[in-house]
Amino acid sequence: MWGRLTFAPSMPVALVALAAVAAGAHAEPPPGEGDPDSAVPEPAPPPPDATGDDAPVETALHEDNEFGPVVLIEQIDVIGNTATQTEVILRALPIRVGDVLHASDKRLREARFKVLALGFFRDVALAMRRGSQRGQVIVELRVVERGTLVLNRLWFGTTDLSPWWVGADVGDRNLFGLGIAVGGGFIYARQEDVARGRDQYAAELRLADPSVRGTPWGASWAMTLVRGSEPFQVQGSPGDTRPVNLEAFRYRRFGVRAGATYNVSTLTRLSMGVRAEALTASLPIAPTRFLSDTDPAVAVDLHLDPGSSRVITASFGFDRDTRPDPVLPHAGTRVVASVELGSTLLGGSYDFATLFGSYEHYWPLRSEKHAIAVKLAGGVVVGDAPRFDRIHIADVDRMLTPRAVGLVLSTAAPLAILGTRAEKPTYGDLGGTATVEYAVRLFRFSGERRVYGGDLFFGTGLWGLAERRDLRARDTGLYASLPIDLYLDAGVRIDTDIGTFEITVANALGRIR
Amino acid sequence: MIAAVLAIATAARAADDEDKPEIQRMLFVESGELLTFSTVRGEGGIGSVFDVKRYDALGSGTPSVLVIRIQIVADGTDTPVAEQVLQRTAVYDVWDERYILRLEQPGSKKQVIVKTPAEALTRMTALQDIPVARLDALPYDKVFVMRMVVELNPIPKEVLAELRRYLSQGTGGGIDRGGALFGSFVSIFYNPKMAEAERVLRIQSRPFYRARP
Repeated sequence: MWGRLTFAPSMPVALVALAAVAAGAHAEPPPGEGDPDSAVPEPAPPPPDATGDDAPVETALHEDNEFGPVVLIEQIDVIGNTATQTEVILRALPIRVGDVLHASDKRLREARFKVLALGFFRDVALAMRRGSQRGQVIVELRVVERGTLVLNRLWFGTTDLSPWWVGADVGDRNLFGLGIAVGGGFIYARQEDVARGRDQYAAELRLADPSVRGTPWGASWAMTLVRGSEPFQVQGSPGDTRPVNLEAFRYRRFGVRAGATYNVSTLTRLSMGVRAEALTASLPIAPTRFLSDTDPAVAVDLHLDPGSSRVITASFGFDRDTRPDPVLPHAGTRVVASVELGSTLLGGSYDFATLFGSYEHYWPLRSEKHAIAVKLAGGVVVGDAPRFDRIHIADVDRMLTPRAVGLVLSTAAPLAILGTRAEKPTYGDLGGTATVEYAVRLFRFSGERRVYGGDLFFGTGLWGLAERRDLRARDTGLYASLPIDLYLDAGVRIDTDIGTFEITVANALGRIR
Repeated sequence: MIAAVLAIATAARAADDEDKPEIQRMLFVESGELLTFSTVRGEGGIGSVFDVKRYDALGSGTPSVLVIRIQIVADGTDTPVAEQVLQRTAVYDVWDERYILRLEQPGSKKQVIVKTPAEALTRMTALQDIPVARLDALPYDKVFVMRMVVELNPIPKEVLAELRRYLSQGTGGGIDRGGALFGSFVSIFYNPKMAEAERVLRIQSRPFYRARP
C-alpha cells in the first residue's frame, strides 16, 4: 500500500512567506546576510563554543526555539505500509498538507514518535525532499510494519478444586489495518470431586478503538459467555475448603458491554459504559452449611436469583495517570475511580451500585534508581448486587488464584499470617488493599535494545474483605474478628520487546493453591 | 515462564554493557572562574552516538537533536556539584542544500551553516572548552568525576508519558476486574515500547582534582 496527500502545486511561494510572517516566523536570511556566522562555512576543527560570534544570549533552552528554512508541506507520502491503511497513519501525524512551518519545528520531530506510538510499526523514518516550487516540500514517511498479535494472558495451573485449567487471551491491535484492536480469550477448567459440579469454560470477544477517527473519543465493545460451576462450603471447619466440604451450583452468563472513553487531557480520561447480561442459575432450593455435626445448619446467601435473571448497568469512570512509565513506574501518580449502577428501572433484576477506587503514588529515590510506592485500592458494593459483581477474595489478596473470565478456579483459604479472623469471606461488599512497595532498578536500556528494563520489587501490605453485616456484631475480641490479613510479594518485572513479564511469589502461589 | 527466564538472562547479560558508562580521558582547564573541559582526540568523544542510519538522517530535512547532560560529582557519590545541559540541533535545507546548526548552552546560543554532513557531524559532536562548573564549587584536593549522558533525538517527557500510556492500553474492557483495579497486566509477543531517545551514550571522565596553586 502506498498513499499520498497532495497540496495544490500552484500554491505561490509568496503565500508561504506571507503565512510565515503571519505566524511570527522569520525566514532564514540568505548567506551573507543576517547572522554573521552564516556568511561562510565554518572551518574544522571548530572554535570553542563559548566564544566567537554568539547570537543574543538566552538564559534557558526551550522547545519552541525554532529555526531553519520555512517550508510549506505540499504532499505527504507514506511508503511501506502493506496492512495499515494510509489514512490511519496520516491521522496520527501532527502535520498536515498545507502546513507552513520551520524545518526545526518540534511537530516534525514528534511526527515519527506519534506514528510509532500507533504500535503498528517497527521503524518509522521521516524525510523531506523538494516540492514542485521553491519553499514547498514533500514529506516522505517510510514505515516498517511489525506483527501486532498480542498474547494478553495465559491461564494454567492446578488446585484442589480444578485439577487443571488452560486458556489464553489473544488479540490483534490493528484489525484489517484499521487501527482497531480486537481481542478474545477462552479458558477451560476441569472440576471434579465437587457435588453437583461440572467442568467450566468461558469465552470473551472484545473490540476497541482507542481514538475514533483521530478524535479524543474512544469506543469499546465486549461479549462474554460463561458456563460456570461455582463452589460454596456446605460443611467442615472454617477454612477447610477441600472438595469434600463443597457443593457447587451451575450457572450461565451471557453479556454484552459497550463503552466510550474521552481523553480530557493527555493524562486524564473519562469513561462510560453500559452492560446487559443474562444469567441462568440452578441454585439449591435452600443452600445451607453445617458448621459442625452438632450445630444446626445455617443459610448460605448465594446472592443470585434462581432461574433466569438480568443485570443491566450503566457505569462511569475516571482515570488520571501521571506516571512517566506505566510498566516500570518510579515516579508519578495514578488515580482511578469507577461507579456502576444496576437497576430494575433499567430492566434488570438487581438494584445495586459498586464504587471502586485506587490511588498509587511513586516517590523516586536516588536519581529514580529506587522508588517507594504506596498503593491503595478499595471498593464498596451497595444493595442487592449479583454474586459476580461483589468483591472476590482474590481481587484483594494477590496470593490467591485470580478469577479468569469470571470463573472461580480455587477455593483455597488465604494464608493466615496475622492470626486475625480465621474464616475470611469468599465474597464481600467491602474490600481493599493498602500496599507499600519498594522497587530497585536492575537496568534500563534505550534505543534499539530488545530488553528495555527490569526492576526488582518487594511489596507488603494489608488486605481486607468483609460483608458489612458481619461487622455489626462480633463474638470474639476486636483483633480476632478483623477480616484483614497480610500481603507479601517479591519478584522481578522485566520489560522487553516481546512483552512485559512479572515473575513473583504471589503469581506462583496463585497457580498452585 | 521459560520465556521470562530467558528474558531475565538476556537482560542481565545486556546490563553489563549498557548501563556502564564509557570511561574517557578528558582535558580540564581552569579558565577564569570556570572549569572547562574538552574531549581528547583518540578517546572517542561522542561521535559514536551517530551510527550510519542517524548520520544519513542528518540530510533528511527533519531536525536531528542532540542533548548533552553533564554532571560533576564527587568521586564515589551520586550528588552533583555542578550540572550543565547543551542542546544541538541540525536541519538540512533541501532547497539551498546546506546544513543549519543551532548550538545552545546556558549563556550562549549560535547558529552555524555548513555544507556537508561531515561538517555538520563534526560541529554537532565537538566538545571543546565547554564550561561545566564554577571553580568555587570544586574545593582543592577533592576528587571529582564528570558524567555525561548524550541523547540523540530524545522525546520530550510529556510526549513520552502520553505515548507510553497509549501503548499500555489493552484491547478493550472485558469481564475481569483484576487488571483494572487491583492487579497488573502482563502481555507477551507484543510490546511496542517507546524508548526515551533514539540513541543514548554514557560517558564518564577519569577522576580529577584541583591542585593547590
